[in-house]
Amino acid sequence: MAAYDLEEQEQLAELKTWWHQHGNRVTNIALIVALALAGWQGWNWWQRNQATQASAVYMGLEKAAAGKDALHARELAGELIDKYPRTAYAAMGALLSARVQTDAGDGKNAQAQLQWAADHSTDPALRDLARLRLAAVLLDAKSYDAALKALDGTPADAFAPRFEEMKGDIEAARGKVAEARADYESAIAKLEKLPADKGESGAVREPYHQVLQSKLEAMGAGK
Amino acid sequence: MFDFVRNNRRIVQVVLVAITLPFAFWGVDSYVRNASGGDDVARVGDSRISHQEFLQALQAQQERLRSSMGGRPVPQEMLDAPELREAVINGLIDQHLISLHATKSKLSVTEQQLAQFLASVPALQQDGKFSRERYEAVVAAQNMSIPAFEAQLRQNLTLQQSMGVVALPIVATDSARRWVAAELEEREVTDFVLHPEQFLAQVKLGTDAAKTFYDTNRKQFELPQMARVEYLVLSRAALGEQAKVSEEDISAWYKSHIDQYAAPEERRASHILIQADKSAPEAAVKAAQTKAEALLAELKKNPKEFAALARQNSQDPGSATHGGDLDWFRRGAMVKPFEDAVFSLKEGEISNLVRSDFGFHIILLTGIKPAHTQPLEAVRDQIAAELRDQVAAKKYAEMAEGFGNTVYEQADSLQPAADKFKLKIERSDWIAPQGAAPGPLANPKLRAAIFTDDAIKEHRNTSAIDIGNDTQVAARVVDYKPAAIRPFDEVKAAIEQKLARDEAVKLTRKAGEEQLARLSKGDAISLAWGKARNVPRMGVRDLAPDALRAIFRVDARKLPAYAGTALPDGGYALYRISLIKPWDGKEDDPRAKMLRQQYERVTAGEEVAAWLATLRQRYPVEINTKALAEK
Repeated sequence: MAAYDLEEQEQLAELKTWWHQHGNRVTNIALIVALALAGWQGWNWWQRNQATQASAVYMGLEKAAAGKDALHARELAGELIDKYPRTAYAAMGALLSARVQTDAGDGKNAQAQLQWAADHSTDPALRDLARLRLAAVLLDAKSYDAALKALDGTPADAFAPRFEEMKGDIEAARGKVAEARADYESAIAKLEKLPADKGESGAVREPYHQVLQSKLEAMGAGK
Repeated sequence: MFDFVRNNRRIVQVVLVAITLPFAFWGVDSYVRNASGGDDVARVGDSRISHQEFLQALQAQQERLRSSMGGRPVPQEMLDAPELREAVINGLIDQHLISLHATKSKLSVTEQQLAQFLASVPALQQDGKFSRERYEAVVAAQNMSIPAFEAQLRQNLTLQQSMGVVALPIVATDSARRWVAAELEEREVTDFVLHPEQFLAQVKLGTDAAKTFYDTNRKQFELPQMARVEYLVLSRAALGEQAKVSEEDISAWYKSHIDQYAAPEERRASHILIQADKSAPEAAVKAAQTKAEALLAELKKNPKEFAALARQNSQDPGSATHGGDLDWFRRGAMVKPFEDAVFSLKEGEISNLVRSDFGFHIILLTGIKPAHTQPLEAVRDQIAAELRDQVAAKKYAEMAEGFGNTVYEQADSLQPAADKFKLKIERSDWIAPQGAAPGPLANPKLRAAIFTDDAIKEHRNTSAIDIGNDTQVAARVVDYKPAAIRPFDEVKAAIEQKLARDEAVKLTRKAGEEQLARLSKGDAISLAWGKARNVPRMGVRDLAPDALRAIFRVDARKLPAYAGTALPDGGYALYRISLIKPWDGKEDDPRAKMLRQQYERVTAGEEVAAWLATLRQRYPVEINTKALAEK
């Protein structure tokens, strides 16, 4: 102890009492932080691992889709939904397979897969797309009420014009001209309200504007 | 310092832990990544678009612009336009957004998937199998290393995964049909056109109208400064024309480059392809083979029918329309099994089935050009030109610097340089700083040099300006007119004519709109309506988009309905819609088919655009406008 002067001895003693009082708590906190970090890393690793496996299945699904193999596509999409429901691949698989089913004339299966994606996808944009596509399938099945119900709930602003157009198509299909006209008008208004377009996709919005305009005019009074 | 450490040990410890912990879990990377480049053009979430990446994309886009103009020169203003830069940066931002979104969604492509993809690319195959050498050669040809190439490829594949499903909409048959029906709806229309000429007589211009216009629009009547110049052109091309080449030189060159004039054997063949992709299911391959065998049997009986059968059956769209003809080709141009078959056939002979990665081929050999060497006579002119150009290049290199020095050192005349280099002094007519100019004077750098105080006031030669193509030009101003404004008397008549016409156009529109209002109210006005014709909403070639819109926007539930539109030539057209013909609903109408596809395309485009817009909202995007404008 002689190595320390008085002031230092005092400080040491102070430190010891402090450690005595708080030491356990400090160790516990450090331990919890370390465990939480390790857990976080582990969780990330697990997610990545799931995604990697799902990716392989999805690639098979893409191949099946390219070959228009509806049955195989359905099986692989089912596998993604069952085994990897928390990955982005599950919803992507459901959407892709639904398109293959629709092309093959199997609306029923497409409905089920789109409904799953609309309810469970973790990506809000994919949920909106799934609802839109679900409504399209239901429209062709003449289930107008169900189709409108799929479109319930506000989508992201950017998808709003497509939602309104789809509502207009549904109303027009069941002969409600005034409602359809209002929907198309609202679709145009929402498209025009979107911020000026940027990026390579900018060029496509004018043709879409004209599509909506034609549908509106065909309902009788244009603007 | 040490006192601080000793007195605040606890703080120091906490700080130390805070520094070391990230190391333990995330590595050094988490520190280095935050070091900013400073001049990034944009940030997308936590990824950056560097100035270099931006410039590369810009150059690629400019290159695309140039090739889309088909060899015609693209104006520099177009290449430098800020809009182009904006389009390029927004395209890059879209790419970064998709790739960032793919990362956040934990999309990934494994080694194995990458290998699978590479194995399926025909360009990387040899004898139907993935070839490592070929792969390395292809990557090296793009000036990339294998790891960099694979990283980029992997990114592209995840990008495709992420966007692929968005770009494949499900379009309700009913939605598409509704639009097709709208586009194919026809309206029976007659028109009546008012022309401004009819209203000229009613126009009364104030006495000083022309003068007022002249005073307020002086800029329009400015004449630019003009100069007449004499100039000298030193060019490699002209030197080449003067150069003399001896007969011995030509034959010596021919002998030493004989392999350039030897042409390998060429063959011409026709084929019928029945597609069967390498990766196609076995049943499909079998079906293709059966079909191909049936065709082959038919051809063995009737070899003359080859072209007709190819036209009907070949699944190679490029050649099928030409009866299967592939034109002349050499070894190395076709896939291996195909080539082997072609080069083992006799002229007029039909092959057995040949299996390639594309499918089953039946090949007819239609011609053989044996290997041959061009004689000296045939290539003499070509060689002479080549040799003359070599001489010219050497001479030009020797003379270029001296030329520049002479026109600079003896700046009060072009004569010394003309004498020294045996050039002829040319004279120009009046030229302005902008606009058209003949020959080398069209070069903007040269023109800028001519219109300087040095050349105009000091009467000095311009320096020798390199105008490209190994050509230098020096000029000197011999005559000069400063900028001026045309006198009022000279332009008065033209102004009055213009003002009168403007006024007549206004009167035309007003009259047209009045008549339209009365017609729409139901007033009976007798007009000399033209011949009725049917116009579909999708448009016809000779009807302007404005007119089409006017005709179809008007409420036509009560007929006749009336519409009107101002015409680009100043006239005003009135339209009477007398009948609406809905689409007959015949799905086999080729227009209906085309429109259905168009609807799906537009829908897909809209959904992708909307998706990208949501990504832009989800991840912060920041554009550095200063760095964007930088060269």
